[in-house]
Amino acid sequence: MNERSGLSSKQRRKLTEFLFLVPTVLAFIMVIIIPFIYGIYYSFTDWNGVSTSANFIGLSNYKEIFTNDPQFLRSFLVTTEFTLFNVIAVNVVSFLLSLLVTSQVKGKNFYRAAYFVPNLIGGIVLGSIWQFVFANILPGIGKSLGWAFLSKSFITNANTVIGALVTVNTWQYAGYIMMIYVASIQGISRSVLEAAEVDGATYPTVVRHILMPLMANAFTISLFLTLTNSFKMYDVNLALTNGGPAGLVGTNIVNMSEFLALNIYNTAFKYSKMAQGQAKAVVFFVILMVVSLIQVSYNKSKEVEM
Amino acid sequence: MKKILAIVLAMVMVLGAVSAMADITIVQNKVEIDAALQEYAAAYSAKTGANVKVITGGGSSDYNTVLKAEFASGSEPDIFVIEGPSGYELYKEKIATMNDAEWVQYTAAAYLDPNGDVVGFPVSVEGYGLAYNKDILDKAGIDPATLVNVDAYKAAFEKLDSMKAELGLDAIVAMAGGTATGMTWTTGLHNFNVYLTVGLDRNDTSIIDKVLAGEVDEERFHQYCEYVALLMQYCDPDLFVNGTQDMQLASFANGKTAFYHQGNWMDPNIVALGVDFPMAYAPHAFMHEDTDGILVNPPSWYVVNKTTGNYDEAVAFLNSIACTEEGHDYMVNKAAMVPAFTNVEIAPATPLSKSVMEWNAAGKTYSWQQYKLPDGFGMGTLGPIYELLANGTLDEAGFEAMVKAAIAGIAK
Repeated sequence: MNERSGLSSKQRRKLTEFLFLVPTVLAFIMVIIIPFIYGIYYSFTDWNGVSTSANFIGLSNYKEIFTNDPQFLRSFLVTTEFTLFNVIAVNVVSFLLSLLVTSQVKGKNFYRAAYFVPNLIGGIVLGSIWQFVFANILPGIGKSLGWAFLSKSFITNANTVIGALVTVNTWQYAGYIMMIYVASIQGISRSVLEAAEVDGATYPTVVRHILMPLMANAFTISLFLTLTNSFKMYDVNLALTNGGPAGLVGTNIVNMSEFLALNIYNTAFKYSKMAQGQAKAVVFFVILMVVSLIQVSYNKSKEVEM
Repeated sequence: MKKILAIVLAMVMVLGAVSAMADITIVQNKVEIDAALQEYAAAYSAKTGANVKVITGGGSSDYNTVLKAEFASGSEPDIFVIEGPSGYELYKEKIATMNDAEWVQYTAAAYLDPNGDVVGFPVSVEGYGLAYNKDILDKAGIDPATLVNVDAYKAAFEKLDSMKAELGLDAIVAMAGGTATGMTWTTGLHNFNVYLTVGLDRNDTSIIDKVLAGEVDEERFHQYCEYVALLMQYCDPDLFVNGTQDMQLASFANGKTAFYHQGNWMDPNIVALGVDFPMAYAPHAFMHEDTDGILVNPPSWYVVNKTTGNYDEAVAFLNSIACTEEGHDYMVNKAAMVPAFTNVEIAPATPLSKSVMEWNAAGKTYSWQQYKLPDGFGMGTLGPIYELLANGTLDEAGFEAMVKAAIAGIAK
């Protein structure tokens, strides 16, 4: 064989490795790299999304975004606010759930499956279901019981809409993150925990001083996932609130819960400003990259080796 | 083994070529006629051997984004819908002229391009005003024929409001225009068009031209804002902000409201709910002087994509709708539309379409100019301002100032 192909075994192995990589790399280039470069290019034009011609207009789109677009500013702030609350809510809930389902509680396998199930429902379906819950069921209950705070829909009140989105996203996503924590807890050697027990450590002490430091790598990945997931939130946002309700900020009317991803989409498709949408997407990418790099490097520094 | 494989591959290619030849894709925006059009397309396909596929996006989801996605994905439709000049401008490089098509001779409502060539097949004519529940108005002793100016409306609303308990009403007017439910088209486009055309000749574009230049007609605009505030005062703010199209209809259909701010495109849903009280349209009479007419126009036109190479098949399908009995049956009976063609002899049986047909026949109509507004302006920019008036964040003066500022923003 070697004589026929004229390659040494080392070269053959290199070639084989290369050939195995080609399909993935090719797909990655086609669906990620090329559209990404195109996107950056279009952000410097006035393309409307349909026309066959696009004129180069330099940095005008970026200037417009930062100086004359109150909705983009609002979207940035509200996305940040949502991300902050959502990262905390999802991680706290999923960490507590993971402690519950790794304890000696009866039927823990059932709970593991049950908490994970919402994650299997698509965001649009889930958003529509929760919209019905918030718009009809909760106010219905509130009215029949005479509870004033429940009788108005949470998703059409600018003060509660973020809370509603956090609730729904936590309900959907906590089960998934819980699985990461569960895997991490199960990977911790029993001997460490037993040693702590022998030394008389209480359960909270074990959690605080043994489990949490040893789970640091799980925190890194979970925080990264929830952070990027929250920042890129689109489907639940669209189906649950569609960016509503409308609100007054200063003298500008904006959609109070229109997150960045939805804002980019609306700019590109609703207002037929594809190029400006692209410019926003580029800004969005830079922000997301910086924030997640900071988060990952911070968390990495906290990880301990056994 | 190789031989079999080759035969299979050859067969696949032939099959592919055949189906590619006869495929016609329509992307359209009327959710309410989706079932009827699917059925008609299937019957047409069975009869002619063409394969007509219907894709629908609209209502609460946004048709324009569905269409753009179809174009962006490279699977361009053969027939799609434009809703007026902004759609035409966006897609004009793709749109074929149809001067010699058979259907053209039967209508005066075709969409003409700036050169006067026929490019759009009128899907139907549609109309809207304030639909009223005649039983409720009768009980309150209100004659709908008097509702031709804002003072008459004010008196009628006050009277109904004072008899709310007796008549079993939650509110007087059923309106839904929330951002969250995607209903801002009823306010930002349809209601705003009241300002643009009511009381004007059908060819009079003076008000929309002013809006596009960033200006308003002060006196007229002030009266319009008063009218909007009046409607909001007598509608249920909860329904307005949270209500979907179905919830809005349910309120009217169950007799919980006396007036209904929707057009005759809701007829199939009204029939499906088995509503049996008599209803008809009263004008959106927003001024102190009488304006006796409702807003009627072809809402949209089918245009043929000249770049997909299926021009003949696409035009043949459109001809079949306008020029065959099956097509007429589909338009009037199945889809409950008011046809824009003079050769149709069937009259609609559904209540709101019947009312539109009557106003149309009497020549008491005003045109639709709202689709001349820039993309996203009506639904995205104006709609939220109506919502803020409905939920009490803005008062009438604030509303007036905000809409004025938004209009001024167009010219920038």
